[in-house]
Amino acid sequence: MDEIDIESALNEIENESDDEDEVQISLPEIIQLMEETWLNEKFSPEILPNKMEIVELLLDQITTLETNLKKLNNSDFKKGLYQMEVDRLRFLISSYLRKRLEKIEIFCTAILEQEKLRSQQGKDNYLSQNELQFAQEYDQSIKDNFESVMRFCPGIIETQIISPNIHSMVFLKSKENIDGIVIDDGNDDNDLIDLTTGAQVLIGYKSISNLVKNGDVHLI
Amino acid sequence: MDPDEVEFLGEKSMIEIVPTFNSAPIYFIGGDVGPFRASIPLRVPLWVAVHLKQQQQCKIIPPDWMDLEKLENLKEEEKSNRSFIKMPSEHYIVEAKLILGCAADDIPRTDEIRTIIKDIWDIRKSKLRSSMDQMIKKSAMYAAVDNLTLMEINSIRPLLPHALEQIYRIKSNKRAILNRTQGSVTTPSNATGSFTN
Repeated sequence: MDEIDIESALNEIENESDDEDEVQISLPEIIQLMEETWLNEKFSPEILPNKMEIVELLLDQITTLETNLKKLNNSDFKKGLYQMEVDRLRFLISSYLRKRLEKIEIFCTAILEQEKLRSQQGKDNYLSQNELQFAQEYDQSIKDNFESVMRFCPGIIETQIISPNIHSMVFLKSKENIDGIVIDDGNDDNDLIDLTTGAQVLIGYKSISNLVKNGDVHLI
Repeated sequence: MDPDEVEFLGEKSMIEIVPTFNSAPIYFIGGDVGPFRASIPLRVPLWVAVHLKQQQQCKIIPPDWMDLEKLENLKEEEKSNRSFIKMPSEHYIVEAKLILGCAADDIPRTDEIRTIIKDIWDIRKSKLRSSMDQMIKKSAMYAAVDNLTLMEINSIRPLLPHALEQIYRIKSNKRAILNRTQGSVTTPSNATGSFTN
């Protein structure tokens, strides 16, 4: 009986999400996507466009599953397994969100400036609403704090904005056949390379940052 | 990345088990598993297999490649080949560690298998070190790492990318300086050029 509850609850959610999204994408695929998003965020030097829709979808799933879990008998061996899966997904999501917060804390001024530029150009923001609010508050409190400290040593007003090193080297795996990626080797003569599906390379992030954002490659 | 996180990703690979119990399927968010029928083999994610094994509820069937003869061949091939050969599994080292760790009683000749996998890992690591050395000497800014597994990539992550980043920094500074000095030399010559025209 309890199992049927979980099954029907899951089916319901699956149907719901199918209605919302035009693109049909199964839950295992979403988890796969979440893993790739997590790794991308982990290894890219700059903050990437947020994937909150995936996060929220998975969180919904987790909450439903957890409420259903409470109904399940404690002695059932399946409970442990369900709980383990929930824990695994939770880890994935929280590690992803934490990594983003970490980047926001380090590069907050740079990120806020880029976000401002993006909204002026009418592009989508990279930060989610909550992250943006966090970034602004964080930035403000850092500046306030800095100013109050600096009152004791007048004359120093120059501050340098910390921005990510977009030339850092990353490992990636290609999901498509891609031609003509420019390798910036620090000299003026730049080579071109082609990637085949499944190819793994070590390359400067700047050459492939667009491919990461549009999902043609993912970082590993 | 923490090796545990590589393990986390590796735990998703599917593996065959023989359950010792009957049960309806489990409806995971990541896909259904089961139904379980006692002594009928089925494929489950590695983390499920390990959990069930710890509860003594299944036997793990080792993956095809976890066989002394095949590993012996693999090792010879890896030795004789200068580049990296394709591993039978993207997460061979994680799978070996987890399966041999929890289900040593299901696998014949565990100790020998453990040794030979370690040998393969060592051979690959030493190849990796020498190619890293070459790469830094040539100060290349690109490398194909096709047949490397995630754990191997992760093992060089603390060193190689950062070394290359520093090289890049030096090179691009040099370029900037060169451009600047060339610029100051070429400006007058350009000026004379335009003058004659």
